[in-house]
Amino acid sequence: MRSRTVVRTFSELCVTIGTLLVLFVVYVLYWTGVRADSAMDEELGRLQDRWSSGAVGAAAAPGEQAGEQAGQQQPEGAQPEAGGLPDDPSAPSGGRSDGQSGGGSGDQPGARPGDPSGPARPDAPSRTPPRAGTAGQAPPAGTAPRAGRAFAVMYIPRFGAGWAKPVLEGTGTDLLKRGLGHYERTARPGAQGNFAVAGHRRTYGDPFKDLDELRAGDAVVISDGTTWFTYRVDGRPYRTRPDDTGVIDPVPAASGYRTPGRYLTLTTCEPEWGHSHRLIVWAHLDATSPVSRGRPGALSA
Amino acid sequence: MYGWIWRRLPGNAWVRALISLLLVLAVVYVLFQYVFPWAEPLLPFNDVTVDNGMAVNQ
Repeated sequence: MRSRTVVRTFSELCVTIGTLLVLFVVYVLYWTGVRADSAMDEELGRLQDRWSSGAVGAAAAPGEQAGEQAGQQQPEGAQPEAGGLPDDPSAPSGGRSDGQSGGGSGDQPGARPGDPSGPARPDAPSRTPPRAGTAGQAPPAGTAPRAGRAFAVMYIPRFGAGWAKPVLEGTGTDLLKRGLGHYERTARPGAQGNFAVAGHRRTYGDPFKDLDELRAGDAVVISDGTTWFTYRVDGRPYRTRPDDTGVIDPVPAASGYRTPGRYLTLTTCEPEWGHSHRLIVWAHLDATSPVSRGRPGALSA
Repeated sequence: MYGWIWRRLPGNAWVRALISLLLVLAVVYVLFQYVFPWAEPLLPFNDVTVDNGMAVNQ
């Protein structure tokens, strides 16, 4: 009787674990896709709403940028004070002047937010080589979208006529469950530099499942609400190491591009179900047209 | 284990079956809502960037 109980419990345990594993596979392969598809549709709908209501440039962005810059400044702000300290002993004329110099150094950090925006800016869009001539045509740097928010839609006809995914700002894990992720600090769509986007190869809607099927000349179309940017793929998908950040440089060394230009980089995992490598696709900007003129040729074809 | 649960459930066979079904659904819900989302990042399907989402931390 005792042995029967043991055997029964053991087999029940095995059945339970098996069921758990099957359920987990269902979750990973199917349920994440269901959730991601609805989340992406939601993001697309929100984008359309925002675009149709006319608020194309994210108005909230400048304030946040200023906040980020203020955060970055902290170490810089400490420097003037450190510089001020030696001044104080060197001018022991009185507590009042010390107080004034202290006030002066206090002013400096206040004045600095203007200055460091100079040094700070190279951090953010430094990947776009500042060409005065192109700056006017490209979307202004000030309209950087808020992190985690969708700001563009990507179309890749090769993946199917209905393939349209939202592009969100940032590449965090949670964010990539709701759409494609734009590497912060890389160029804006259509801008001089490298517009780099990451997406899931498998699970969470499989957006970049067929990335390895892209071939030279295939179109990758981006819309930011005002302009269609048609990129054309160059070469074959490139396989690289997971830490090869050079592939999202303004002019990626391995891409074959040699001169600064308007490039696009797509990254996903390789192999399809693994993470030992990354798969990279590069494209160059081929054409732009205003949204008012309708879908570009690459999409209607 | 399951026999033990079955014997604990009240009512006749139909009521027990109904309660069992609800229990199973509750377990599946908890798994899909809480357990699997926690376990899924342990799999390698999330590594799609070349900088491991470094940009997000800054």
